[in-house]
Amino acid sequence: MKKFIAGAAIALVAMTTSAAAEGHGDFPERPVMLMVSYGAGGATDFQARIVTMTAGNDDALGMPVAIINKPGAGGRVGWNWLATQADADGYTLGAYNVPHFIAQSIKGGVEYSTDSFEPIANWGADPAVFVVGADSDFNSMADVIAYATANPGGLTFSGAGLFVGHHIAALQLEKAAGVKLAYIPNKSGGSGAMRAVIAGEVLGGVNNLSDAFRAREAGTVKILGVFDTARNSFMEDVPTMAEQGYDIDNASVNFRGVMVPKGTPQSVIDHLAATVPAMFENSRVASRMKAGGSPMNIMNRDEVLEMWAARQITLEALLSGL
Amino acid sequence: MEFLFYMDEVFAPMNFGLLLLGTIGGLILGATPGLSPTMAVALLIPFTFKLEPQQGLILLGAAYTSTVAGGAVSAILLKIPGAPANIATTLDGHAMALKGEGAKALQLSFISSAIGGVFGVLLLIFLTPVLAQWALSFGPSHLFWLAILGVTVIGTLDSSSVVKGLLSGCIGLWLATIGFDDIMGAQRFIFHSSVSGGINVIPALIGLFAIPQVIAMFAKGRQSNDAEVIVVQKHAVSEAFREVIKRKKALTIGTLIGSIIGLIPGVGGQIAGLVAYDQSKKFSSESEKFGTGHSEGVIAAEAANNAMVGPSLVPLLTLSIPGSPTAAVLLGGLLIHGIFPGPDLFINYPKVAWTFIDSMLIGQILMCVFGLYVAGLAASVARVPQSVMAAVVLGLAVFGSYSVQNTMGDVYVMGALGLSMYFLERFGFSAAPLVLGLILGPIAEANFIQGSMIANATVGTGTYFFTGWLNWLLIVIVVASVGYSVWMEVRNRRYTSKEEILS
Amino acid sequence: MSDLPRNQHIIASGVIATIGLTVAYISFTQEPAAAFLFPRLISSVFAVLAIWTFLKAVLGRTKVGNGLSGEAMKNLAPGLIVMVIYVFWAAKGLGFYTATAIAFFILLSLYDPAPHGEIKSWGKRVLITAGFMVVIYGLFAQLLYVFTPREIFF
Repeated sequence: MKKFIAGAAIALVAMTTSAAAEGHGDFPERPVMLMVSYGAGGATDFQARIVTMTAGNDDALGMPVAIINKPGAGGRVGWNWLATQADADGYTLGAYNVPHFIAQSIKGGVEYSTDSFEPIANWGADPAVFVVGADSDFNSMADVIAYATANPGGLTFSGAGLFVGHHIAALQLEKAAGVKLAYIPNKSGGSGAMRAVIAGEVLGGVNNLSDAFRAREAGTVKILGVFDTARNSFMEDVPTMAEQGYDIDNASVNFRGVMVPKGTPQSVIDHLAATVPAMFENSRVASRMKAGGSPMNIMNRDEVLEMWAARQITLEALLSGL
Repeated sequence: MEFLFYMDEVFAPMNFGLLLLGTIGGLILGATPGLSPTMAVALLIPFTFKLEPQQGLILLGAAYTSTVAGGAVSAILLKIPGAPANIATTLDGHAMALKGEGAKALQLSFISSAIGGVFGVLLLIFLTPVLAQWALSFGPSHLFWLAILGVTVIGTLDSSSVVKGLLSGCIGLWLATIGFDDIMGAQRFIFHSSVSGGINVIPALIGLFAIPQVIAMFAKGRQSNDAEVIVVQKHAVSEAFREVIKRKKALTIGTLIGSIIGLIPGVGGQIAGLVAYDQSKKFSSESEKFGTGHSEGVIAAEAANNAMVGPSLVPLLTLSIPGSPTAAVLLGGLLIHGIFPGPDLFINYPKVAWTFIDSMLIGQILMCVFGLYVAGLAASVARVPQSVMAAVVLGLAVFGSYSVQNTMGDVYVMGALGLSMYFLERFGFSAAPLVLGLILGPIAEANFIQGSMIANATVGTGTYFFTGWLNWLLIVIVVASVGYSVWMEVRNRRYTSKEEILS
Repeated sequence: MSDLPRNQHIIASGVIATIGLTVAYISFTQEPAAAFLFPRLISSVFAVLAIWTFLKAVLGRTKVGNGLSGEAMKNLAPGLIVMVIYVFWAAKGLGFYTATAIAFFILLSLYDPAPHGEIKSWGKRVLITAGFMVVIYGLFAQLLYVFTPREIFF
């Protein structure tokens, strides 16, 4: 007990001094919560746990971050909760997935939009890729599109849901190649969609680059193209869609980062915006992310604001036809 | 036999210490209401960052095995199933505890857990390649039929009235549709902001099972000290072993069903216990004793729960697809060390892979040893006066349901469902079929929609859902199961009418 | 079968039947139809079974369920009131730990058979409450980092 009191006293002193040094109250004075709108074990959850693992360090937040999962309906459940029910006191952070939440807000039926949240920082960018089973006859996107042209609406391919990055990629592909495809959203998210490809339930699939990379290492899939503007360092051999003649940009790239609900005090936002990107840059975080095959892309608050605004315009144009 | 080669790795001091830590910690976390095995393992992930890969996995593997078994503790003693896996355990386990046989119920549950668990891990060791194919063969149409099969179990789960059992199941299926639908994102039946995210299974479980029992204790009023304390019968461990061996039919059914169902992605872990319970009831010569504190019920349910642990990792270890949420979290534990599971996992990282599997094997046995020790202590919970018990269960229910997602909404849902369930129970409805509906509804719906989307793009709905031996096998089982329910209902009616004549 | 359980059965199954019909009505009238396909299917079965149960209750042919006796209702009423206030208001309104301690203590006092006039048994109740609070705090706040609502005190 004595030890505990001594520890508490030291922690208290450390907290007050560091807070006084930076000059904005004593935030955070207790553990901070990070809401992830996907289930435990999903890519977003997994990465959120890694990038926040150093939060307790003195040069970061000085308090641990607890991950709370609120999965459901492609992330809508969690983001609705963050926009309407979460306390805007800086102790409730949320993980965002762009383009998912922006596309959902454009489609409607949810209680949030880009105006409901304030971004803090971006930690990762995971492009979508097109995968087929290892024993598939398709060896390039040209083969896939040739099949789709011969069988309009008959090319089944899986993805993680509707109005998420994979769906955006699917829509872009349909538009760029001028064919009709059968996109099958999977309830179990990316891993379910990957399973459907490997088991041969569907002819192909859109999936996360990180998961597809792993599956290719396991010898179960072939990767035919990346939905991004440049090749990825994890797989230099896989061409982009644009290289294969389809006019597709990086609108479907899954950006992951941290945000807070609107109404959070500006001083708290500033404090977080200053400390969180540095926390992501920690070398331990970087090595764990690299080991897990998760591409990082650290952006500060201003860069994220810009990226959100740009995405909003692209997605409105893309989804207007639906 | 390669796995024996790495066995000594498990007994290295540091590794064995972690194994002990994971096992004991897992038992405690598992017994905490509201903390499912998935969450328990996810909470431990940060602790593995600093460890060697195999050490981290030993910790996670041990925690996974023992949280599943630890869930039985609160299921039996408090009637709070910590996770869907433990629902079936409450049915007879808590009834046994009420009869003063809490110690016996816990012993039986840990012994059968260990037997089922060891069998499951052995399957993982020897039959992984075969099982991987089997796990992949379940597509949307099969999962749909499987969910329907689960729904038909509803009718017979509660022997008192098939109609009311089915009606409870329908209420559960309806509750499951509340919130956003998963594929279209449309809002359904959101009549209060607490349910805008849908009804979460864990708070619902806590409410449906724990709250009616709290109110039932209230209903007994202020009883005198002597009347309310249940005498706890001491029960020798050797007796428990003999009992488990005597009930080998329930043990076998539980173990086999658990191992097979555990493989099926997304469905397995949640319903393995219930399906095993239902089947062993149907095959038992004393089926009328089920639900009244019958040892076979506990044995079948717990053997199935732990038998499913090993096979549920098969898709992860061989194909790199996490078949269950817990497997997904374990995948995270591998990834942070830069290890990609897949067919060559055992070639590239034999030390990690085999040590992990061996530790699960040893973990099962350790879990049993500790569990049996705990059983002696924990069974005295039954000696806690009812007034204290009611207050403790209520407090734990509130904290447990809040901690799942840190939302007051979950607490309100827990309270509202619990209150309604108490009154429903007074009128012959029961919680187990309702929960089964709640769990299976989304599985049936999602796979039906996904299946019909694939079917529309390819062969057509009729062909898609009605061809292939696996589809037909499942359909035949569904029909047989419904037939059995109807037959039971008719027999039941004849029986009661005879009684009516006599009275 | 006496009248009390029979009337109770009619009320209970009536409530369920009403819910069933409402759910069916909503399912068949709401859009988009694709999202309500599954609810339509189950609500039809739900409504039919609920009406069946209701009719059986009206005819007095319910076989299972004993309803509630007057004595049981009198016994559970105070506990139920404490529980409802605790779960639906106090937990959030007063903060989890404060509300839990109060509710726990009141429930013990209400249902503990030890005589109310005796100082020793009051001491015991306070001790049990304190013990429970320590365990809960250690488990949820210290071990699991669950930040529960804290309005007054903590």
